Amino acid sequence: MSTITLKDACKSWGSTQALTNINFKCENGKLLVLLGPSGCGKSTTLRLIAGLDTPTSGIVEIGGRDVSNLPPVKRNISMVFQNYALFPHLSVEENILFGLKARKVPKNEQKKRLENAADLLGLSNLLDRKPAQLSGGQRQRVALGRSIVAQVSVCLMDEPLSNLDAKLRQEMRQEIRALQQRLKMTMIYVTHDQVEAMTIADRIILMKDGVIEQHGTPEDLYNRPATAFTGSFIGNPPMNILTPDIEFMEEFSSMLPPGSTPSYLVGIRPENIVISKKSGLKSSVLAIEYLGADSLLQCQSGEQAITVTVKGKTEISKGDHLKLNWESKHIHLFDGKNGKRIIDSARGVTP
Amino acid sequence: MKFWKPGTGRAIETIGAWMLGGVWLLPVLFAFWSAFHPAQFSTSFELFAPLTMDNFVRAWSYAPFPRYLLNTFVLVTLILAAQFVLCTLAAYGFARFEFYGKNVVFALVLLQLMIMPEVLLVENYRTISILGLLDTIPAIGLPYMASAFGIFLLRQSFKTIPKELVEAAQVEGVSAVGILWKVYVPLARSTYIAYGLVSVSYHWNNFLWPLVITSSVNSRPLTVGLAIFGAPESGVDWSIITAATVMTMAPLLVAFILFQRQFVQSFMHSGIK
Repeated sequence: MSTITLKDACKSWGSTQALTNINFKCENGKLLVLLGPSGCGKSTTLRLIAGLDTPTSGIVEIGGRDVSNLPPVKRNISMVFQNYALFPHLSVEENILFGLKARKVPKNEQKKRLENAADLLGLSNLLDRKPAQLSGGQRQRVALGRSIVAQVSVCLMDEPLSNLDAKLRQEMRQEIRALQQRLKMTMIYVTHDQVEAMTIADRIILMKDGVIEQHGTPEDLYNRPATAFTGSFIGNPPMNILTPDIEFMEEFSSMLPPGSTPSYLVGIRPENIVISKKSGLKSSVLAIEYLGADSLLQCQSGEQAITVTVKGKTEISKGDHLKLNWESKHIHLFDGKNGKRIIDSARGVTP
Repeated sequence: MKFWKPGTGRAIETIGAWMLGGVWLLPVLFAFWSAFHPAQFSTSFELFAPLTMDNFVRAWSYAPFPRYLLNTFVLVTLILAAQFVLCTLAAYGFARFEFYGKNVVFALVLLQLMIMPEVLLVENYRTISILGLLDTIPAIGLPYMASAFGIFLLRQSFKTIPKELVEAAQVEGVSAVGILWKVYVPLARSTYIAYGLVSVSYHWNNFLWPLVITSSVNSRPLTVGLAIFGAPESGVDWSIITAATVMTMAPLLVAFILFQRQFVQSFMHSGIK
């Protein structure tokens, strides 16, 4: 078993608090993605699990064993680094076998595992090359190979695809997901790319400023964002987060909870906004981005920017005035002060 | 009309470079000319003067050059080996580990770079004498073994090695010494070559300290032997002196011509230029 658990893990450097009370559990054989903008602490969390850093306080457990103060080698993990961390003076074969040699695995066992991994990753005819002679995708595969031959059940990945171009990234992420499921690895995967996270994760942890914003399945994060930040981070294009102003209230006050409204943030996804002939939030089109299947309208209402997705190529042109409308079931309410989600039952009726 | 036509600056630079090169080359050319011709031609140029190897034979038999050559060879090897070991370990310490007073210690190392070894001639002599090593080959090498230049150069080179490589090795369970040996040293290879060549040529040519500390054929390196051989008291025979000089510098010259490309490249790589 290789369930990974963090209990109240904190990390600080001097007076900078990098991580505050991180608690989560990654079940055996699952792929957990640590997602967040740069500087949110996701890589630090991974380094705590790897043992490259030790927590200031709190506990890291792997397979039920407290490993907080053990060196990386005693934790039974493998790791793939952002820049692949291939040794430029070693061939592909030597790079893949580097760890096995260090661990003094018998020669014939090394050979067997190498053949296995090379087959799996399609590296068999590249074994004699040096990393400098490989393409980005091939280097990435070598790095994966090094982690596969270790035959440990926990694999940690630190932004493994960020140096690849878009197409290759898509291929590789499918490959990584397939490998993870085939080898039944417990994988923790760090990325700042929400598309990558959504597509491969069993569960996602979204982090911001060293705390966990939300922990859930990709659907949870998309459908029920726990905070306004989650809403604005997940989805492409992300959710519009609006502060209700007078114009907004004229049209949509019925959608907000009745009574004295302190301060709300209203989240609405671009794909849920419809352009209405009758009524809606008045706005003007600032720019149009044509994406092929969809077009994005960048609109402005009062002080606020709103993105709207429409199907295909649109007739609307820059400068047009639109009325934007939506159904009440599509709006997400967040507390204006702390950004936390407000329970759905408090919502009003459809206009 | 403009005086500075495009290319004028470049032409002047080229002429300057050729002149400098010529000035540097002249003594070497003279040494070769004189070494391969009979004594009467040593100071007069005649294109078809007869060639001879006689000077080499005489120089070889007049003084114990084989012994000097061996001494120099042992000396250079000894210094280089000691420098590699000491500088590698020191540089690794400075590049990778945090310890109390690290910056002060490193400043002290850098301080050594600013002191000319000649200043310490007397003090070093006393130290060697206390150690009872006077007139031995280790005595010639000892003051140079903990080279600040080497430590600095290797530290800089080690610092450029990506942290991820070290961490990858750590995750695989490689020890601190293992990381030095399997990651740092192979990746700093070009620095080792560059530094090795500088060190060898410096100590091959070093003169003053070996002259002071040695007093017998058993420990004298080539340079000192050559100087004694060419001293005015023993009569100046340019042909023999130049023949001996050519013999002295030949191994280094050949090595440099062979490794010239790697030499230049490794300096480019190690960022000294």
